[in-house]
Order: sequence, then C-alpha cells, then structure tokens
Amino acid sequence: MGESLKDRLVVTNDTKYLIVVRDFVSRMIRQSRVTREDENKIILAVDEAVTNIIEHGYDQGVDGTIELEIESDPGQFKVVVRDSGRVFNPESVPNPDMKEHVKAGRKKGLGLFLMRQIMDEVRYRYKDGVQNELTLVKYTK
Amino acid sequence: MPAFKILKEKVEEGIVILTVQGFLDAHTFEELEKTINDLFDGSVYRLAVDLSGLDYISSAGAGVFIGAIGTAQENDGNIILMRPSPNVKEVFDLLGLSQIFTFKETRDEAVKALR
Repeated sequence: MGESLKDRLVVTNDTKYLIVVRDFVSRMIRQSRVTREDENKIILAVDEAVTNIIEHGYDQGVDGTIELEIESDPGQFKVVVRDSGRVFNPESVPNPDMKEHVKAGRKKGLGLFLMRQIMDEVRYRYKDGVQNELTLVKYTK
Repeated sequence: MPAFKILKEKVEEGIVILTVQGFLDAHTFEELEKTINDLFDGSVYRLAVDLSGLDYISSAGAGVFIGAIGTAQENDGNIILMRPSPNVKEVFDLLGLSQIFTFKETRDEAVKALR
C-alpha cells in the first residue's frame, strides 16, 4: 500500500467512457498515498483532461483513442494523458475571470482552470507528428 | 442504477424543484440542460435544484448552471442550489462559483428565496 505502482487504460473518444476513466483513477488512488481529501479532486482533474480531448481533440465522428498512464510512488501521483488528436497547447490558455464567465453565460472552458487549481504540476508536451501528452502531478507525503 | 436521473416537481405556479441524481458530467449534462431549457420555454424561470443525490459533478455539469442563471435572472427568476454533498460543493468552490450561486439547506428556504 502506497508503494510504487503503474497501470494504463486506453479508451475511445466517447463521453460514455468517462465513468470508466474515473473508476480507473479511483482504483489507482486507493492503492496510493493520495489522501481521501484529494481523491475526488484528482478524479475531477483527469475527467476534465479527457473531456477536453473528447470535445476538442478529434473531429466529430472521427474515432480516436485516449491513453492514460498512472504512476504512483511515495512522493507523487502522476497521470499522463496521451492522444493523437488536434494539437492543443493548454499553456496558451489563460485562467477565466469567473464573474465575466458567468455574466456571459459561457458554459465551457473551465476544465483547464480546474486542472491547474487541483494539481501541483500541469505540463504539456507535443511529440512531433505523434501525439499530445499532458502530464498531471499531485505531490504526496 | 442509471448514471443520471432528473426528477421535476412543480411546487407552486412558476416555481419548480429539480432533483438531480448520479453523475453530472460531459456525458449527462445535456439532459439537464434540455430540462432547464424546456422550463424556460414554458416561462418557468424560478428553479431550485436539489443536489443531495448527486454523486459527482464536473465543469460540464457546473456549466449548465452557469449557462442558465443569467437567463433565469433576466426573467425575474433565479436558480437556487440545494444541499450539495461536500465533494460536489468543493467543485463549485474550486470554480469560484460559491459566491455567485445561492445555496440553501432546505426546500422551504429555497422556495422562500424564489418567491
């Protein structure tokens, strides 16, 4: 319990698999040193990352895959999310002004903000011609 | 158990309580959005949403309320949120929405706030 572990999950780009993604993250968290307090938040951050890929990564009707790799050791819980969809660099997206967001009735565009609020590291890397890779890290004690 | 369920109850003329249960995420939010839009189409703009049976919400789910509250308020109505679980409330807190939405603990308080 709480030692090093690693596992991966591959889903297709359909929101019906979000529940599978959340169950996978939850199962990994429960074998890690992540506190119960952080469990729901980390599940949420990963859900947001996968939702963004499903909604924006691939053209409508185009099947794509999303790979999640979770690695946990005593110091951190790391989730790497890979897809081969449209290039998207989250580092170029600023955080929203929530009052303005609500005033304008904008329903979307909050996933990245949540990921940044929750995780200690949100890193993006594009491997030329291959895939987007988003790494989410939460430090553990 | 279905992943998501909505119950609708008219408490008095122009005031409806929606009870949402299960998981409100990018897969299920459209169902809630449609329910709220149908109420708006029927000129019902005063809504209380009971979140006590909601196990999970993501930003797609919170987005339904963000998208709807402006229309409700422009039409002399409001959306009051009721009894979220700590996990669900935490998401509203993280998004900075807890200062924007009104939360009530009981049905009576919510209905009173909508009158």
